[in-house]
Amino acid sequence: MFIKADSIPVTRAAIIQEILDSPLKINLMELGFLPGKTITLHHSAPLGGPMAFKLDETILALRKNEASLIEVQLL
Amino acid sequence: MPESTTPSLVKSPKVAIIGNPNVGKSTIFNQLTGLNQKIGNYPGVTVDKKTGWMQYHGSSYEIIDLPGTYSLYPNSEDEVIAHRVLNQLSDEERPEFVLMVIDSCQLSRGLFLATQLIDLGLNLALVLNMADIATRKNIAIKSFEIFKALGVPILSTDARGEKGLDQIRELIHQQNFSKKSSFINVEEVVDASLLDEVKDKFQLSNSYQAYQMLRFGEKDKTFSLEDRNWIKTKLAESNFDLDKAQLEETKIRYRKITSIVEKAVIKTPDVKQESGIDKIFLHPVFGYLIFGGILLIIFQAIFAWASVPMDLIDGFFAEFAGWVSDALPDGPFSDLISEGIIPGIGGVVIFIPQIAMLFGFLAILEDTGYMSRVVFLMDRWMRPFGLHGKSIVPLVSGVACAIPGVMAARNIGNWKEKIITIMVTPLMSCSARLPVYVILIGLVVPNERIFGFVNLQALTLLSLYLLGVIGVLFTALLLKSILKTEEKSFLMVELPTYRAPRWLDVLMTMYNKSKTFVFEAGKVILAISVILWVLASYGPPERMDAIRAESEVKLAQASPEEIPVIVNETSSLLLENSFIGIMGRSIEPVIRPLGYDWKIGIALIASFAAREVFVSTIATIYSIGSDTEDELTIREKLNQQINPITGDKVYNTATAFSLMVFYAFAMQCMSTLAVVYRETKGWKWPLIQTVYMTALAYVSALLVYQILS
Repeated sequence: MFIKADSIPVTRAAIIQEILDSPLKINLMELGFLPGKTITLHHSAPLGGPMAFKLDETILALRKNEASLIEVQLL
Repeated sequence: MPESTTPSLVKSPKVAIIGNPNVGKSTIFNQLTGLNQKIGNYPGVTVDKKTGWMQYHGSSYEIIDLPGTYSLYPNSEDEVIAHRVLNQLSDEERPEFVLMVIDSCQLSRGLFLATQLIDLGLNLALVLNMADIATRKNIAIKSFEIFKALGVPILSTDARGEKGLDQIRELIHQQNFSKKSSFINVEEVVDASLLDEVKDKFQLSNSYQAYQMLRFGEKDKTFSLEDRNWIKTKLAESNFDLDKAQLEETKIRYRKITSIVEKAVIKTPDVKQESGIDKIFLHPVFGYLIFGGILLIIFQAIFAWASVPMDLIDGFFAEFAGWVSDALPDGPFSDLISEGIIPGIGGVVIFIPQIAMLFGFLAILEDTGYMSRVVFLMDRWMRPFGLHGKSIVPLVSGVACAIPGVMAARNIGNWKEKIITIMVTPLMSCSARLPVYVILIGLVVPNERIFGFVNLQALTLLSLYLLGVIGVLFTALLLKSILKTEEKSFLMVELPTYRAPRWLDVLMTMYNKSKTFVFEAGKVILAISVILWVLASYGPPERMDAIRAESEVKLAQASPEEIPVIVNETSSLLLENSFIGIMGRSIEPVIRPLGYDWKIGIALIASFAAREVFVSTIATIYSIGSDTEDELTIREKLNQQINPITGDKVYNTATAFSLMVFYAFAMQCMSTLAVVYRETKGWKWPLIQTVYMTALAYVSALLVYQILS
C-alpha cells in the first residue's frame, strides 16, 4: 500500500514510488528524492513541525506539506 | 576513454569554485586564498561576491567563490548568481576554469550539478571533498570509474584536515581542467530546430546553453526587451513546456548518474547510527531548552566581552578628536573634523565588536551543523507569523544589535519572508536601548521587591523586552496579510553531520561581515551623522553669536568655581537655539500628548543617530556637562525638572513609561536604516520601516501616557 511520506512512522524506512506534481517537484528531485530511493524518518519536530528524513548519507528536513508530495511504500 | 580537450595555457586565469551547500567549498576557498580576498557585490542583488587570489610558484590566480547551489536552475538569489556566472551572462565574470567541489558521501547529488556544468561546455575539474567522513562511513569511491565516465580530472581531499590542498593548487597551476562534449543529449528534451534558432540568434555554440537561454532569458532583466520578447514568442510558437522539459532532463540525468555511482561507490553497511545527538538536540522539550541555554551564553558573552573593545573605541575616538581639535587652527573646518567626521566614523566603528562577535557565534553554530537544527525546531513557530524557520537567526541577533540581524536575513530565500524578517528585526530590544531604559526605570520604578523575590525594576526591564517581541509578532502578522507574493514558501534544509567548527572560516566570516558593514553601511551613517552634527552645532547666527557674547562677558567676571557652571549653561543654550533645538521646539505640539516637552523633543531628534545618544543629549540640555557619565547625576537632574505650567515633575511615571515605550518601538537608528537600505537595494523599505515604527511608537506612547496620567 502506498502512503505519503508525511505519515511514515519514526525510524521506519520506505521506498519512494513517485513525486507528485507540484511546483516543488523539481526541487525535491534535485535534492535526491527520486523514485526507487529509500528514505527513513529520522526525526519529527513537535506539533506538526518539519520532518527530517535520512536519504542516502544525508539528513534532509522538509515541512509536512513538502513531505506529502512524496509517495512511498513502507518497508 | 572519453574524448577531452585541454585548452592552451591562459595567462592569470580566473577559477570559479562551485558546489552544493555544506560541501566545504568555502573552506577550500579560504585555504587557497588566505587573507587575500575581496568582498564585492553582484549588480542588482544582495549576494556577496567573494573573490580572492591564490599565489603559487610565483604565479597569481584569481579565485571566485560562487554561492552553493544544487543545480543550474536557480531557486534563490544566491543560486541566480551561480547560474549567471556559469552561463557567462554577466560581463565582468568569465571564469576560464571551474572547480566543482563534491561531498564524497553525496556523490550523486554532486554529480547532478557537475554533469550540468559539463553540458554547459565548461573547463572543469572535480574535487571529492570530505574524504575523511566517507571513510568513517565506510564509503569507498573508485574515482577512476568517475573519470572514465565523465572525462574530467578528479581529486580527493579533506579540506578541514588540510589534506589534498596542495594537489588542488598544483591542478590550478597546471591548468589541468578539461572540457567534455556533453553528458546528456539536450535534444532528447528540446526540439533541435528550436535550439538551433536560439544558437543562431545569440551566437552560441553549445546546445545546453541555448536551452538555458530559453529557460531563463525571458525573465532575465539584464537582457534587452527585444531579446526577451523574441524568446517569449519562440516559446509560444513552438508550444514548448519548460517545466516538463526540466523534469525530463532531471530524470535522464539521474538515471545516467545512478549507473555511474553504482560502479564507483562501494559501501559497507554503516555500523553506528549518528542519530544519538539529535535525540537530545531535537527533543521536543530539551531541544528548546538547549537552544535557550545556548542563546543565554552567547548574549552573556557579547554583553560581557563586547563592552571592553567598545569602551576602548569610544575612548580612542574621543581622544583622537580632542587631539585633532588641538592640532588644527580653530574654526569651522576644525569643528567639522573633530566634532562631525571623527565621531561619525567612531559611531560606525563602535558597532564592529558586536557585529564581529555575533557573526562569530553564528558561524560556529552554522559550521557545527547546529544552526539547521534550530531552523528545524523553530520553523513551526515562525510560520504562523509569516516568518521562516531561518528568521530565528536575525531575530535572536536583534537582541544584541539589529544590524547583524538584518544582514543575516539574506539567507532566507523567499522574498516575502525575508522582507517581513527585515522589517520586524529592529523591533527586538537591542543593547542600545538598554542605557535609556536603565535611566528611566531608575527614575520612576522603585527598587523594591514584590512577592518577596521579584525585583520591580528587573520586572519592568523584562516587560520592555517582551514588548519588543510582541511588537515583532504583531507587525509580522500585519505584514503577512498585506504583502503578496506568488513565490511558494518551502523548507528544504540539510541537517549536516555534527562537526567541530573550522576556526579559519569563523574568523574570515567575522572579518568579512565587519568589513561589509563598515564600507557599505558606513557611508550612509557617516553622512547622516555629519548632518545631525551640523544641525546640532549651528543655528541662526545672530542668536548663536548673542549667546556666545553673553557667555564671554559672564566668564570674564566669573570666579573659578563658577566657570564650569557657565560653560555648561552656555552649551545648553547653544543646543536650545541650534537648528535641532528649533526643530525640537517646533515638534512640541505633536509630542505634547505623549507627555514630552521640547527638551525631550530635541533628545528624540538627536537619538536618530543612535538611541544611546538620548542620554548624552539629555545631559547637555540640562547643563549637566558632556563629560558626566554618572547616571546618578543625570537621574537627579531629571528628577528636579519641573514643568513651568503645571508645576509637576517633567519626568513623572506617565512620561517615563511613555518614553520607554516610544524607545521600544521607534526607528531611531540610522545604522539599521543604512543596512536595510543595503539589503533591500533601495530606499522604499527603510522609509516604510521608519514611518511604520515611528507611528507605532507614537500611538503606543500616546496610549501609555493617557492611561497613566
